[in-house]
Amino acid sequence: MVDIGTLSLIILLGMFALLAIGMPLGFASAFLAVVTLSLKFPPDLLWGDFGRGPLSVLGQAVYRQMTNYVLISVPLFIFMAAMLERSGIARDMYSSLNVWMNRTRGGIAVATSIMAVIMAAMSGIIGGEVVLLGLIALPQMLRLGYDRNLAIGTICASGSLGTMIPPSIVLIFYGLVTETSIKALFTASFLPGFMLATFFILYIVIRTRMNTSLAPLPDPIPGEPEGSEKALMFLGFVSRFAMWVTGVLLVRALFFTATGDNAIRENQDPIPLGMVADIPWIIGAFVLFTVTVYVVVGRERTARGWDMGKGLIAPTVVIGVVLGSIYGGITGITEAAGMGVVAVFVIGMVRREMTFDIVWDSLIRTLKSTGTIIWVTIGAAALAAAYTLVGGPTYVANLIIGADLPTMGIILVMMFVFLIMGMFMDWVGIVLLIMPVFLPIVVRLPAEEIGFLGSVDARYIPIWFGVVFCMNMQVSFLSPPFGPAAFYLKSVAPPEISLTDIFRGFLPFIALQLCALSVLLIWPPIITIFL
Amino acid sequence: MQVSSLFLGRFREPVKKGMILFCMLTFVLYIYLIGSRLFAEESYGMFEMIRPAGKPLVQVMLACFGTALAFASVFLSDTKGAIETKPDGFFDLVSVVLGRLAMIMTAFIVLVMFYEVVSRYVFSKPTLWANELSLWIACFVFLLAGLYAMQQRSHIRIYIIYDMMPWWAQKTSDTISVLLITGFTFALIWGGYTDAENRFMRMETFGTAWDPPIPGIVKPALLIIIVLVCIQAISNLIADWNKEPEIHTPADEIDEIEIEKIRQTLEGKN
Repeated sequence: MVDIGTLSLIILLGMFALLAIGMPLGFASAFLAVVTLSLKFPPDLLWGDFGRGPLSVLGQAVYRQMTNYVLISVPLFIFMAAMLERSGIARDMYSSLNVWMNRTRGGIAVATSIMAVIMAAMSGIIGGEVVLLGLIALPQMLRLGYDRNLAIGTICASGSLGTMIPPSIVLIFYGLVTETSIKALFTASFLPGFMLATFFILYIVIRTRMNTSLAPLPDPIPGEPEGSEKALMFLGFVSRFAMWVTGVLLVRALFFTATGDNAIRENQDPIPLGMVADIPWIIGAFVLFTVTVYVVVGRERTARGWDMGKGLIAPTVVIGVVLGSIYGGITGITEAAGMGVVAVFVIGMVRREMTFDIVWDSLIRTLKSTGTIIWVTIGAAALAAAYTLVGGPTYVANLIIGADLPTMGIILVMMFVFLIMGMFMDWVGIVLLIMPVFLPIVVRLPAEEIGFLGSVDARYIPIWFGVVFCMNMQVSFLSPPFGPAAFYLKSVAPPEISLTDIFRGFLPFIALQLCALSVLLIWPPIITIFL
Repeated sequence: MQVSSLFLGRFREPVKKGMILFCMLTFVLYIYLIGSRLFAEESYGMFEMIRPAGKPLVQVMLACFGTALAFASVFLSDTKGAIETKPDGFFDLVSVVLGRLAMIMTAFIVLVMFYEVVSRYVFSKPTLWANELSLWIACFVFLLAGLYAMQQRSHIRIYIIYDMMPWWAQKTSDTISVLLITGFTFALIWGGYTDAENRFMRMETFGTAWDPPIPGIVKPALLIIIVLVCIQAISNLIADWNKEPEIHTPADEIDEIEIEKIRQTLEGKN
């Protein structure tokens, strides 16, 4: 029938045409899957026999997606994020951070970034995060006379970190599409994510130091502790919290000893911090923190520090449950998401905020977002299956590898494609439609030529590319004309802040993101440090 | 508090009573089954739950649970959530009721997972069924979520060019979209019907210890639900035909009312 080159071109043009007329992305790809098959196979083979034939790959591809256990984590993470938005956890966390940082120049902006990182580690969804920060931090910064562009950029750029720091829904999808270990992706993206956050914070600190009018200091509140006193109180707070954590760990280790679960067996990994040999260490740490609280800091100060810092406890517990479940070897990604939902619910109950209405509204939001995301997956799965069946990815890979470009040239072209697509399209569409074509090419490139300073082992290339992709998508959240973060912020910002103002505020932060992206490209081994 | 009823009207109260009654019945039976699991010789567990033949108690339990779910979905779909568009017409109602079912099931997945993690991690007695049960439920959640998203018109579309078109071009585009969706549905059924029918007839199972009939149920359900989605798309086209065109921005995803609620939460204790 039609040769594969023409077919690829038809599919590409068809995709543009269907998206232009506003057809839902998932269904457009699903229909193009049918087109692919009809161009490849003669009609009598395709339509000759009802109920069978090559068209059956469509149903099989969709079924395979539906019965993917990891995919369940998507609605659960959305559910968790939706409940978090409606609890007061974020507000309390912000006031706690504020108390510690308000005497530093640019402190509120730095506190906003740190809060965004903590929220990013709790869930993997943006949108809600930008809205929350916009509601909590923007009025505060504007009231204190912070520079508007700085405030806007800080909120949106930090709010987008949600998908860069694990758990991240972008990496979950990348892992699903490319069959890469999601846990490894999370581990690898840790450092780049923090690096980006550090860039933001350094930028804020340096700029506000150079030009103090950008971030005026608030007037000191009378009776507020200062300098070293505050540091001591913070130490007291941390030690008291650490006493609780070590206490719980001790009880856990003793429980395992009592039930005999932590007996040393062959072919079984030891329980992290739960073996008999760990107990003395845990007790030692517990004693150390107790001494700090009662001798070094003093009870009085600790109590005041505890009051000032307790907004940080709930987020730490949620992070501990989600990331602890994954990295403590307790559960996989999916169950960790489920445990995160339970943790947020229980904390909400303890704080007496959780009502049936909140849970129900969150479920409505969850189902709506799940439907939109998962059905892009369904369409894309059908298209990817059909296109693979006709030999598309191999064709494209040969085309690009045969083009005699230098290795990094190919990678840079791909980055360019991601950035341009990211301006107009949702990350879901990009990961599902472009990745099945791009990743096989990247994997076939010589691994030692990737990166300028040092390179990674060939088996880590898919992981590296996932992190690079995730960084690209960071830019896409901010890039004009359709950067979603801008629209989220616009919906909660005071009316005199226009979209143009918001995008102007983004520019330095986009530059920072591109810096982080180039670090990843120049020095790929950054991802293997924790692997 | 007087809640306005969307479609049940005077049946609202009976449906509510039915929901409560069957929920309680299910709960009582559940407690009884747990009790007999602990004390009696012959008892039913999750293994028997998917093999109800010849076990009246299991059949009653399943029937009660199913009825409770049905009543709950119908009852809950009678009120409109703040961020939802109003259902309009019969197919919208079907989609919303099924959407409600999917919402209940999402919460149910969380419970199943919590049970599994606790029993595996704290009591070192991993269940055989929890993973597969969540997988089985999740298939339906995913499929029904798409139907619900279609009814809510929240599928991802790119509006850049669409919003610039005149009215007639927008309607032509919509019609083409719906025709192509129908085309895909037709092709999907054409290719997958025999496979789905065979597996359903055999009640093909998953091939694990608990062995739920996931392929046997999900494959046909997939075809059926995609047909429902297609019908919903046609119904949307008809329902939206005379509506005013609106300008879309990416901010549509975040609803005004939702922001208002978040704002209230934030101001709650200050």
